[in-house]
Amino acid sequence: MNRRRGLLAVASAGVLVASLAACGSGGDGDGNDGSSSGGSSWTLGTTETVTAMDPAGSYDFGSWNLQYNIFEQLMVVPAGESDPQPDAAESCTYDDPQQITCKLREGLKFSNGHDLTSSDVKFSFERNIAIADPNGSSVLLGSITDSTNPDKPKLADGAIETPDDTTVIFHLNKPDTTFMKVLTSATSSIVDEEVFPADKLLGDSDVVGSGPYKLSQYKAGEQAVLEKNDKYAGEREGKTDRLFIQYFSDPAPLKQAIDSGQVDIAWRTLSPTDLNDLEGNDNVNVLKGKGSEFRYWVWQLGTPVGKQKAVRQAAAYLIDREAIAKNAYDDTVKPAFSIVPPGFAGQKDSFQEKYGDTPDVDKAKQVLQQAGVTMPVAIKLGYTPSHYGPNAVDEATELKGQLENGGVFKVSVDDAEWERYQTLYKQNAYDLFILGWYPDFLDADNYLSPFLRDGGFYGNNYSNPQVNKLLDQELAETDAAKREEIIGQLQDITAEDVPLIPSWNGQNVAVATKNMEGVEETLDPTYIFRFWMISKK
Amino acid sequence: MSSQGSVPRYVAQRLLLVIPMIWVLLTVVFVLLRVAPGDPISASLGGKLSAEALADAKHRAGLDRPLIVQYFDYIKDVATLNFGNTFTDNRPIIDVVRDNGGATLSLTVGAFLIALLVGIPLGLLAGRRRDTVSDVVIRIFGVVSYAAPIFWTGLLMVILVAPTGWPTYDIASAETKFLVEPRTHILIVDTVLAGNTDAFLDVLQHHVLPCVALGLLLSGVFIRLVRVNLLQSLKGDYVEAARARGVPEKYVIRRHAFRNALVPVITVVGLQVALTLGGAVLTEKTFNWPGLGNQLVKYIVAHDYSAVQGLVTFFAIVVVVVSVLVDIVNALIDPRVRY
Repeated sequence: MNRRRGLLAVASAGVLVASLAACGSGGDGDGNDGSSSGGSSWTLGTTETVTAMDPAGSYDFGSWNLQYNIFEQLMVVPAGESDPQPDAAESCTYDDPQQITCKLREGLKFSNGHDLTSSDVKFSFERNIAIADPNGSSVLLGSITDSTNPDKPKLADGAIETPDDTTVIFHLNKPDTTFMKVLTSATSSIVDEEVFPADKLLGDSDVVGSGPYKLSQYKAGEQAVLEKNDKYAGEREGKTDRLFIQYFSDPAPLKQAIDSGQVDIAWRTLSPTDLNDLEGNDNVNVLKGKGSEFRYWVWQLGTPVGKQKAVRQAAAYLIDREAIAKNAYDDTVKPAFSIVPPGFAGQKDSFQEKYGDTPDVDKAKQVLQQAGVTMPVAIKLGYTPSHYGPNAVDEATELKGQLENGGVFKVSVDDAEWERYQTLYKQNAYDLFILGWYPDFLDADNYLSPFLRDGGFYGNNYSNPQVNKLLDQELAETDAAKREEIIGQLQDITAEDVPLIPSWNGQNVAVATKNMEGVEETLDPTYIFRFWMISKK
Repeated sequence: MSSQGSVPRYVAQRLLLVIPMIWVLLTVVFVLLRVAPGDPISASLGGKLSAEALADAKHRAGLDRPLIVQYFDYIKDVATLNFGNTFTDNRPIIDVVRDNGGATLSLTVGAFLIALLVGIPLGLLAGRRRDTVSDVVIRIFGVVSYAAPIFWTGLLMVILVAPTGWPTYDIASAETKFLVEPRTHILIVDTVLAGNTDAFLDVLQHHVLPCVALGLLLSGVFIRLVRVNLLQSLKGDYVEAARARGVPEKYVIRRHAFRNALVPVITVVGLQVALTLGGAVLTEKTFNWPGLGNQLVKYIVAHDYSAVQGLVTFFAIVVVVVSVLVDIVNALIDPRVRY
């Protein structure tokens, strides 16, 4: 009897669940079945995070990549190229090193139907600078910013002129030939002045742009859904009507998701081990494009060891970058012989020219002997174990072995988590420490000014008046050939002074299922994931 | 009649204790976050900006104000139920709790159901068949399921199940999350309200792995608890008396021993809420579950003070409220507790 009652209870529960499940029609009530009318929808998985959809509130890959697809900028860098081309602008040209005139395309509209005019362009820059969000990238707009009151930065008086609805004239406060590249970055996205507040960020789900896609849904940390913007009439027209971006908090489930086909593309960031493993999966392609990620070791010139040029040069003679790429990164990165990555105008492999491409212990000893430095030189090497991924420890270990080769150095290795690490390296806790860099825009200067001017952003106490002068010159030089020559000189001086040692350049890697098209084409040093180029067969 | 030992007085005492408990917790969280090296600005932009630019950004964010000022502002805000916005993605904390709390709730409820469905019958069976092979096997199962790290169990399940095409991450497919309107913010309930069978089944499928992983962990506790209590009950005078009255053994066990053995489970269920929330953090991380635990880890890594403070406060309130409820239920059931 009791057994029968038990069975009845279980059966009732089953019926209840089934009834619950079947209580509807199976539709969503609006006839939307989730499929797109155009190209098949697809899903991108990523571990990147989104700080803000509002261009005034972000300075990170995750946010910027959505903004590149949702908004237009005046200029854009086409896939595989480095020179800016018109986007919302019909043209943008330097009148002189301190003035740029842009002419907007006729008939531009935001996805809500509002007209996009020069007034919106001015408003976009003005609010970005005025909001000065701590997570934002208004720092890139220094050439049009009035920072007299650091608590209340504002657009410099007369910095942007809008004589008519389609003309925008930028008056820069200093000669700046990189500003054209800044105009291609997401911080220069054009927003609708009728929608975005002038003094605060707009909510993520409410953003409106004029780019090839519009944001249909955003669940922070979960997913974003983009749909084709039918008001868009530019050259970046999307091939897919609807696409999904799913956010992963950890690379492990992302790897499982692409491995089992639960997402169509995995982009940023799988470990070298995961990538090697996925190479063996017949259902996916591991696609590699040129990257602009830069890893380097900084000498702290504030320490007794680091301030000795001979010591810094000796270390440069001992580095085996091929071995680091192979042993620490499974050959997923490329050896770097210059502070400026390959592909940038003016790039030259100055470290290879000066120190060769293979280690030379004799030369290292010779430099130290000539300077009267006793060997082995004791140095402290610092790295951070998780901020740059789990392979940083392998890189530090490999570097230690190379420096100790031939008894030239005696290396002690120390690590600290990212937050503490930043304080320690500025406090001279390490003689040599590892850092990484992604460019804000594709220009060689983005690898020079932040690193070389008066100690760089990392405060390594390196200061060379000649370098500062050359940096000013290249920023003001509009003749491309002359500028490239100056950039070459800067790289040569860096190789001679060795305030830092280039280690490797990363690749832009994505994993895609076999039926995805256009993914490989967007993998370039900009790290812009151009959703409009991608489709699913 | 003395009011000492009355239920209302007991409840009032317990509720009053909640305030200092939460205050202490908030203070500890505030201090711990500040003494740890780093801050949200350095965590996100430290590898980009110069020392001066970083200092400017911290100033704009108010992070350079004296700690005591920040502390009193924070306590004042919490006292007025203003939890503010997250620093790193500018979301109102209340929205984070609302948007992500549903996923944690459905995960923990599902895990509890599995834990009870697995733990109670196995515990009763082990106690009933003490020192037999089945008892030993169940006890080993209980110890292993409790001791195995949840991320290990979860990862193992994912590796085993992924090739079959069964969903191994998230609470639902991208399409389902897009199509189902968030009415209650508990997705499985929303699919029912939307009357969308496919979506419901999709969400149900996504719940299986994480709920089982977390449920197995909890079941180990229940197995051991129920087994021990059953053994205690079987030694009780009332059981002896029932046997002496000639009541058949199966009725003695079912009606007298089993029921009494289950009473302590109520207390333990309450205590397990804290453990479940801790386990949920790891489960959510393993299965990329969009719950509060996953969010909390993200914000801790980013040193997002306001987000961590807000979420920990929420977790604390949940644990305290459940503890108080359990105490009240216990006080109603067992008068000895009130004295």
